[in-house]
Amino acid sequence: MKRVYPVEERCINCHLCEVACIVSHSRTKTALGAYQVEKLSFNWVRPHALDPAVALAEGTPLPLNRCRVDVQGSVFISTSCRHCQEPDCVKACKNGSLYLDEVGRVLLREDHCVGCWMCLMACRYGAIERNPYVKNVPGQESNGINHHCDLCRDRSHPACVSICPTQALVYEERGSS
Amino acid sequence: MGNTTTLSDNPRVSNPANTNGSKSGLPPATSPKSDLMGLQSLRPDDHFHSYPEYFVERRHEECIRCLVCVRQCPYDCTYYDPDRDVVYNVHQNCVNCKRCVAMCPTHCIRIERFDSGFRDNGHWGTHLVRGLRKQADTGGVLLTGLGNDLPYPSYFDRIVLDASQVTNPSIDPLREPMELRTYLGRKPESYRPGSPGEVFPNILCEIPVLFAPMSFGAISYNFQHGLALAAQEMGTYFNTGEGGLHPDFRKFRDSVIVQVASGRFGVDPDYLLSSAACEIKIGQGAKPGIGGHLPGEKVNAEISRTRMIPVGTDALSPAPQHDIYSIEDLRLLIYAIKEATEYTRPVSVKIAAVHNTAAIVSGIVRAGADIVVIDGFRGGTGAAPMIIRDHVGIPVEVALAQADQRLREEGIRHQASIIAAGGIRNSADVVKAIALGADAVYIATSAMIAVGCTLCQQCHRGLCAWGITTNRPDLLPRLPADQAAGRLTGLLRGWQHEIQEMLGLMGLNSIESLRGNRLKLRGVGLTQLELQTLGIRQAGL
Repeated sequence: MKRVYPVEERCINCHLCEVACIVSHSRTKTALGAYQVEKLSFNWVRPHALDPAVALAEGTPLPLNRCRVDVQGSVFISTSCRHCQEPDCVKACKNGSLYLDEVGRVLLREDHCVGCWMCLMACRYGAIERNPYVKNVPGQESNGINHHCDLCRDRSHPACVSICPTQALVYEERGSS
Repeated sequence: MGNTTTLSDNPRVSNPANTNGSKSGLPPATSPKSDLMGLQSLRPDDHFHSYPEYFVERRHEECIRCLVCVRQCPYDCTYYDPDRDVVYNVHQNCVNCKRCVAMCPTHCIRIERFDSGFRDNGHWGTHLVRGLRKQADTGGVLLTGLGNDLPYPSYFDRIVLDASQVTNPSIDPLREPMELRTYLGRKPESYRPGSPGEVFPNILCEIPVLFAPMSFGAISYNFQHGLALAAQEMGTYFNTGEGGLHPDFRKFRDSVIVQVASGRFGVDPDYLLSSAACEIKIGQGAKPGIGGHLPGEKVNAEISRTRMIPVGTDALSPAPQHDIYSIEDLRLLIYAIKEATEYTRPVSVKIAAVHNTAAIVSGIVRAGADIVVIDGFRGGTGAAPMIIRDHVGIPVEVALAQADQRLREEGIRHQASIIAAGGIRNSADVVKAIALGADAVYIATSAMIAVGCTLCQQCHRGLCAWGITTNRPDLLPRLPADQAAGRLTGLLRGWQHEIQEMLGLMGLNSIESLRGNRLKLRGVGLTQLELQTLGIRQAGL
């Protein structure tokens, strides 16, 4: 199965993969639409805004990118879900909202997830984020739902790979992981 | 040149080392502008030189605050104000490298001249006024990169090519063989079948275009790697410049010309033997008569290892080679290198095009050089005083024509090949240079443009936003070696086809038949004396 692999020495810290991810998962599928119409802000600068509780209380949108450029000094790397062959998150998911599909992608049944965060605890790569805007438990305080890379289900090629200007992300078959 | 400064760097704004490991990879929240409180100027002298050259026009309604531009700008020109959620620009730091324009996902950035310059003046150009004010402020030599950018006339643009019509057939290179193969080095005096006589080492170029000397240090590791890969792929050569050959690149020994310059950086027997040819650098077209200066800040561990100098020390090449004060001295060094390489490689000598080039080239050939490189005043540099870059040296076209003519008259043209360098912009320039007497050409600026260079002339600052002339670890990945190699190969392939077409339309099927074939050239708008100097005829005659 093809997966997205980062190439650390090619990453230039531009974060265009994050932009492409947000845009490709937006309703309007355009950068301006995602930012201005859907208010999917790309503002990563304010550290407090990364806390969903604070963001919700403030009304500031959370960046909903499913890949994330990690920065350590001058080393950059874009990380996202590894789509493991035997995913710990799927094993940990107690109501079956995470599943392996027929080609091997780890996907989410978005209307099932209740935000218990067992997946988040189980993931050894820290690749799972929280999407606080979807709440599946009516009348309950909810943490939102699981949010991770779906390899762009409606595209032939993941958006992050297509946009990367230095080919620091590759989409290829590499045997088992 | 102890006290050096540049037109564009602003002493008020610190170097934007985005390498402090902040969470988002952005500069810390205290942006460089925060101490200015949004005011244009705080220091008493600032109003003398703070006229911005470029204006970064941002259509804020189309800006999605993705901050790609902020992260990509190494010149501290773009910053984000989190309180207002707006991206702003410090216009006076903009060097018009266009990195942000190229990377912006919504194309909301446009860069323009800030204004029309100072009051129109035919004598006092805006760049002169700027330079004077900047110089008065700092008391230093104005440094710059790249080649002479003043509007001197270009002889290449006043030479046109011949084509075959009726009386002689043109050749279709897609249907008939077309030979671009070129051998560089000394050729035998005569040839008799059966007894080849003395054979001299030559290097084979599949295309008469070589990559000019650019040192590791002046250019990035990745770019040099790309040049090496492209040279290997296309059957041509790249040149190390004076910065030595990195151990990783020794495997490209069949595609590299190693340079021995006045600083002797990285020169040892293994270096000389890891090559296809060796080159002695006497001068550089962009700065004839002066040495080189790689600032200590740019000397990192890898460069230190390659150049064999301590980390962080300035790499200063002396102006002359201190063991060469005459043609006889040059002969000693040429033969020292030939001895060291056991006469297995041609030795090249590179000079800048100056007033007496023809006589100098004659002396160099008699001193034993197998290849002579003539570098014209449009040639680029990683760092040179602007005043020298813009006013010293002569166009390569005339120097080349004169040198070729002189060597022919003296009957020693076969003893050395000539490489023309400095301002070769396209394949027509290559064809014209070869018809004027060159065996091959060197390209560097064209190669840099091919991999992204936008001619912003900031090479000397080591902050290249396109990752070409920098070795800062966060900027280096912007030009991956394989991407560079692919683009350079594309450039050379395109030129290869174009040169073949141009040869075909002139009725030639081999680059050999073009060399020094000045009948294929005609001058347009040149004086009698210029035509005579170039050795070509007036168009129409």
